[in-house]
Amino acid sequence: MGVVVGPRVIDAGMSLLSVLISPVPVAAGYPSPAQDYFDGRIDLNEHLIKDITSTYVVRVSGDSMEGAGISDGDELIVNRALEPKDGSVVIAVLDGELTIKRLRITGSGVVLQAENPAYPDIRVPSVSDLVIWGVATRCLHHV
Amino acid sequence: MSKPATMRQMPQIAHVDVNCFYASAERAFDPSLEGKPVVVLSNNDGCAVTRSPEAKALGIPLGEPWFKLAPRAREWGLVALSSNYELYGDISARVMELLGRYSAWLEVYSIDEAFLGVKGTPEELLDLGRTTKAAVRRNVGVPVCVGIAGTKTLAKLANKWAKNNPAFDGVCHWDSVPAADRESLMRRLSVIEIWGVASRLTKRLNGLGIHSILDLSRADPVMIRDRFSVVMMRTVLELQGTPCIPMEEERIGRDQLIFSRSFATPITTAAGMRQVMSVYGQQASARLAKHGLQAKVLTAFAGTSHFNPKDTSYPSVCVPLPMPTADPVLLTRAAHAFLPHINEGIRYARAGIMVTDLRPTGNQAPLSLFENPHEERHVGTLLEDVTRRYGRGSIGLGHAGIRGGPDWTMKRDMLSPRYTTHWDELPLVKAA
Repeated sequence: MGVVVGPRVIDAGMSLLSVLISPVPVAAGYPSPAQDYFDGRIDLNEHLIKDITSTYVVRVSGDSMEGAGISDGDELIVNRALEPKDGSVVIAVLDGELTIKRLRITGSGVVLQAENPAYPDIRVPSVSDLVIWGVATRCLHHV
Repeated sequence: MSKPATMRQMPQIAHVDVNCFYASAERAFDPSLEGKPVVVLSNNDGCAVTRSPEAKALGIPLGEPWFKLAPRAREWGLVALSSNYELYGDISARVMELLGRYSAWLEVYSIDEAFLGVKGTPEELLDLGRTTKAAVRRNVGVPVCVGIAGTKTLAKLANKWAKNNPAFDGVCHWDSVPAADRESLMRRLSVIEIWGVASRLTKRLNGLGIHSILDLSRADPVMIRDRFSVVMMRTVLELQGTPCIPMEEERIGRDQLIFSRSFATPITTAAGMRQVMSVYGQQASARLAKHGLQAKVLTAFAGTSHFNPKDTSYPSVCVPLPMPTADPVLLTRAAHAFLPHINEGIRYARAGIMVTDLRPTGNQAPLSLFENPHEERHVGTLLEDVTRRYGRGSIGLGHAGIRGGPDWTMKRDMLSPRYTTHWDELPLVKAA
């Protein structure tokens, strides 16, 4: 049985970027000559998502990360499985809210920084005093 | 002295399930719910189907209708949410896909629980249980407990114990617990607490002097088979440590239907998987129609065989249906959305679908839905065309028709966003 591959929009939850064109095989009598073309098409899921089980897309609300090029309304790809490091852009739980900050780990303590001088730093003794929800890996900035 | 390697390496079964699944899935995206009593309400009758530990501590019984809780909600600080099955379906799919990485084989048992084949020394098994638990929490964001034992029945019991006794820290390896403690637990628990014993049989068991799980474990399997059933005999054998409960191909849960099976010959192509998904779509349709139900969310999954540990793969995907439906065409099409997740050449030994967000069909008379294959009459294409031209709900087939069930118009103002399946409803992160 051959496989014809064609463009198709999937309405599937696991496909975070579900509007992407993905190959959907259908049964057919002979192999389609078009198949090779579609095999080479760029699939953003493949390039932007390392682990489908731990990756979520979130939307930014507010301007405190402007300095990092992350604006109000941008979407972020967040991987929960990554270890937060010094310099990571993290989603931290602050007062019951998912909040985006730059994580700084120094000898004298841990700081959650905004990338906008209008917002103060938040200092804690160690990373274990924080609930880090995930680490942002990409910003889908609206240009 | 250590036991011989063969004894230590006997295959075991891990039962993993998510604690208060629906409430935990909600909390994963709304941390403000942490520490608060939360109930999730069924979408057709507004009864509490999931309670967070805080809600249980308030004495709220399972199945309590919302109208009884509402007057005291404010005083309790109780948060009630409508069932968000798209969210639960996606979280479930993630959990199952992840669990597949930690085991030789995986059986999706329900939306929030699975059996895993595991092997190793007691220390290795405990370690595996802890690793799995930590990975689900870290990757997906929901808490699980793990019970590991020689049989499914004992693994489920171990899991229950792990949940209820904080000393286990969420992971219980049955054989590592001193025999006296296991006995005392089984003596304390009524037979009704064991997986596979229907509550209606309790009286008859009691009549035979069987009250506790320990009593049942000491019963004569043959006598049990003769007086009850093979099913009950299997439970006895499993309690005695002999694995004998096979995977049921069709499972009916409180709010879900599951169809899954292993294949005699592995499926290696998307075309083959397409056929399998089509069969499940039809089966789900027939079963929903029989129970007078419609589904709104479908989850499809597959897994490789443990005989081939190289290319392990457990893809799983949650597909929101365009409308509540029992229609075979729609269900089959939804199941086919799984196909892009199939890697050609991988040997899939098992696959299944689960339908959730079930609701009564209503008072419509069943149409002759199954007498005419829709495909041949091009009803599916027609339906799609009309829907595309005139919008959702403008036309429907049989049970999927325009008039929905009684809850179709039910207010769901306590519904959280569909965080992971809808671009317009992504979780918001505060940049302030």
